[in-house]
Amino acid sequence: MFQRVLIANRGEVAARIIKAANKLGVETVAVYSAADDESPHLEDADVRVQIGGAQSKDSYLNIRAILQAALQYDCQAVHPGWGFLAENALFARLCEQQKTTFIGPPAGVIALMGDKARAKETMKAAGLPLIPGSDGVVAGVDQAREVGDRIGYPILLKARSGGGGKGMRVCRDEEHLPEMYEEASIEAEKGFGDRGLYIEKFLEKGRHIEFQVLADRFGNAVHLGERECSVQRNHQKLIEEAPSPALPDQLRQQMGEKVARAAAHAGYVNAGTVEFLMDDEGNLYFMEMNTRLQVEHPVTEEITGIDIMEHQFRIAANQPLALQQENIVFKGHAIECRVNAENPFEDFKGSPGKITRFDPPAASDEKIRVDTHIREGATIPPFYDSMICKLIAHGKDRETAIDLQLAALKDFTIEGVNTTIPAHLALLDSKEFRSGKYDTGTVPRVLSALHEEGKD
Amino acid sequence: MAKVILEDIGVPVEKLLSQSEYDKNLQAMRKLEKTIVERREEVAAGWGPKYVERVHKKGKLTTWERIDLLKDPGTKVFPVGTFVNYGIEFGDPPRTSPGAGVVTAFVKVCGKHTVVIANDNTVASGSWWPQTPEKIIRAQEIALRLKVPVIYLIDCSGLNLPEQANTFPGKYGAGKIFKMNSLLSAEQVPQVAGVFGDCIAGGGYMPIISDKVVMTENAYMVIAGAALVKGGKSQTITSLDIGGPDIHVHLSNCADMRAPDDPTALEMIRREIEALPTSAIEYYRFNLSPVEPRFGTSEIAGLMPVDYRMAYDMRQIISRMIDASLFWELLPNVGQEMIIGVGRVSGLYTGFIANNQFLTEHPEDPHKSRPGSLLYQQGIAKISAFSRACNADGIPIVWLQDISGFDIGTEAEKHGLLGYGSDLLYTNSTNTTPMITILLRKASGAGYYAMSGHPYDPVLQLSTPITRLAVMEGRTLAIGTYRTKLDHNFNIITDEPEERAKVEGGMAAVEARITEDMDPFRSARQRDTDEIVLMGELRDYLKTIVEMSYQSIGYRRVKTPRIWSLHDMAAMFRRI
Repeated sequence: MFQRVLIANRGEVAARIIKAANKLGVETVAVYSAADDESPHLEDADVRVQIGGAQSKDSYLNIRAILQAALQYDCQAVHPGWGFLAENALFARLCEQQKTTFIGPPAGVIALMGDKARAKETMKAAGLPLIPGSDGVVAGVDQAREVGDRIGYPILLKARSGGGGKGMRVCRDEEHLPEMYEEASIEAEKGFGDRGLYIEKFLEKGRHIEFQVLADRFGNAVHLGERECSVQRNHQKLIEEAPSPALPDQLRQQMGEKVARAAAHAGYVNAGTVEFLMDDEGNLYFMEMNTRLQVEHPVTEEITGIDIMEHQFRIAANQPLALQQENIVFKGHAIECRVNAENPFEDFKGSPGKITRFDPPAASDEKIRVDTHIREGATIPPFYDSMICKLIAHGKDRETAIDLQLAALKDFTIEGVNTTIPAHLALLDSKEFRSGKYDTGTVPRVLSALHEEGKD
Repeated sequence: MAKVILEDIGVPVEKLLSQSEYDKNLQAMRKLEKTIVERREEVAAGWGPKYVERVHKKGKLTTWERIDLLKDPGTKVFPVGTFVNYGIEFGDPPRTSPGAGVVTAFVKVCGKHTVVIANDNTVASGSWWPQTPEKIIRAQEIALRLKVPVIYLIDCSGLNLPEQANTFPGKYGAGKIFKMNSLLSAEQVPQVAGVFGDCIAGGGYMPIISDKVVMTENAYMVIAGAALVKGGKSQTITSLDIGGPDIHVHLSNCADMRAPDDPTALEMIRREIEALPTSAIEYYRFNLSPVEPRFGTSEIAGLMPVDYRMAYDMRQIISRMIDASLFWELLPNVGQEMIIGVGRVSGLYTGFIANNQFLTEHPEDPHKSRPGSLLYQQGIAKISAFSRACNADGIPIVWLQDISGFDIGTEAEKHGLLGYGSDLLYTNSTNTTPMITILLRKASGAGYYAMSGHPYDPVLQLSTPITRLAVMEGRTLAIGTYRTKLDHNFNIITDEPEERAKVEGGMAAVEARITEDMDPFRSARQRDTDEIVLMGELRDYLKTIVEMSYQSIGYRRVKTPRIWSLHDMAAMFRRI
């Protein structure tokens, strides 16, 4: 195993990496920006190195500074966590070059999966079903119209290099197509320097289902089942759970095996997530592959008992995968809530500041897990995402998990900043969520109801 | 008609000798073979189970276990230099060094032949004994000649320091290994190294020049180990901390890849070999599939007479080494004491030059016949021309020696055998086609040299259980030594009983000493031959080395059979 790893991330992510490194006896070098110099997690690292200013581009996205720190402090590997440089093929390539092992997939695969159209071609060839749509990028609005006619409206226009909802438009009829095509491509050009758009059928009430895979460099791959992340607000996930209440066991097994095979086929190495959209009839369509560990990985860890990040380290150190598919069993149900410093009553506006009181529910073995870097007195700086904590409840079934999570949320005291806890309470307790028959439209529905109540 | 037409030369055993004779020969051979097999096992066991256990306790595999995982499943490994240092003891208390503490072998990896050089970690932690560098260098030399990839499995605690005077300074001292690493690299011979444990000082240099270096988590490479660093710099630190994979894979770039354990490292080495260009063997078979000989190679053991002075049919030995026992013999009517021709080994064209053991016609006197296994003028001319032609055509040559030497006497000198013989030496010295020498039985005097013995750089020289390698037979030397005491019929002249006994005793002692020196183990022990193989293994070794000769392209001449200069030779003599 590596002697020392550099953590190219901050906050809760860095804290999670330190935990995994400690478990494996790997020393940690934590980098931080000027805004994070009091971040509590730095105390837990073996070495701390300031790498630049508060703005991400000066610090956590400053490739040169991070690589230099890795060299200077004799690091064998770098863990990018999620966000920032986690899916930056250039960063992975530069790491490879200086022989600091990038704990993640090979640069070529990151680049491949980062190109949404090529990713779809690859996964289609590997046997995964695609949502009906254009065959890659469309040449212009005329071709877009042809595709629309073929697959039927509504359709979704998506930027080839996009993400986070940018360069994306839902078009409900042919009439609005030219206008929306123009808007989306200009936005794509501005955001990503690439006007390329592709088209797919818009699933009104789709569910977001994602499979976790682990693959080693020797062609072995397993899946760890799926997570459902349909509780979203503007494509930002709020609540995730595993397993999905919508997926029958047989489909899980069948699809999971397909996914693992496809990942190995695509030359995928390390942990990755294959995202699907599920329609009303229970069909799964491949959307994209995330070439990193996901924020919501703990729900999978809870129901499988597998420490995914530990395996990330092991795979990066060229260890053959120690897991066998038939030995991976799913136990109970897990739900994660992202507790952010945001005000759910003001359209989730960021609420940075000093946390004057931090009193999380007691973590209890295999029931409540608290993933955080925060301690009382810590500050949520305004420059980055506003994650305070991830709260994960694991129960013997979905009902129990919801109740555990509700109890935990009620037991959670955070003062000094607004948090998303009220939204979580409302969502978890909503009939729609409890029934398991929710979709990506649930959040606006439940929250507008909450709003109305607030007004009353 | 530039066709290559091979004829069936195989004759079944029952037409060659009686069953009882065959059985008698076989029995005698089995006895010798048993010793060889037992001694091989003894060498392969290294220093025994205690040391195997020690290796396993460290979470490592033994050298032979590593080779077993490295090779293609179901394939055979062909060791060379097994008996180097056999029976020699070093130091106080005296210790043996089985195999000189290193395994060198031809191993098939991902369908390609490779030369594997693997420190035996059950013998003094894989350290280098006297002759270890020479054994490694020889394996590197074979790889360099044939451009076959080299795989180093390194687990070596360095020079065996008490014996350093015999391993360190010489022209073929340890440093020559690194020169060979460099030459192999300069000639673009792929070298892949796995470091599995200690790799100290000299050992440390061995992997670095390799194109690819894999290190396990148990491995370290250092200029000086922890003990020396403590002595020199007063630092207490483990060798793994000084030069483990954390340092060399990530910080110094002296290695390329880290592996958690031995099996994974071996798998990674296999993948490197897999990534190399495919072998040209199939291409050079010229659309002919390999076939086994019509009669089994194992029958050779029963065809070789117990008495080394007795003759046998050499063509029948050849027929049991070549595909389908098909052979194109050239110029069978001139220089009949020599046999030359082309056969296929594993579907690949191979030239054979062998001594006919039978009486043959005297070229100038039809009423005279001459003993075989000797070199006369026409025979030398014939094999010299054939050797040159094979070299011109890029056909590997197998020299099958059972040679008593050059003819001697007035006729020999008048025929200018010194000149013809030197022409042959010149030819063989300057040949670039791979030559393989098999010392089937006698390899005596200048005959051993003339037929491409070890000093003439065959890519491989094999001995058999009955090889007799010497300047002359013991009996001959005894006669020479006591010639003033003997009459023309080599009988002792004196009638004085005491004097007679003295001469008899003296002659017996000379003969015994020479016979002992001719033991193939003696030459194997001091690297005068590459390996002692059983008769039944000859074809397998041949197949391997001939395939190795054709595996790589672009480094030597290989002509299409259509334009062989051998056809010129055959055509000219057909008219006579």
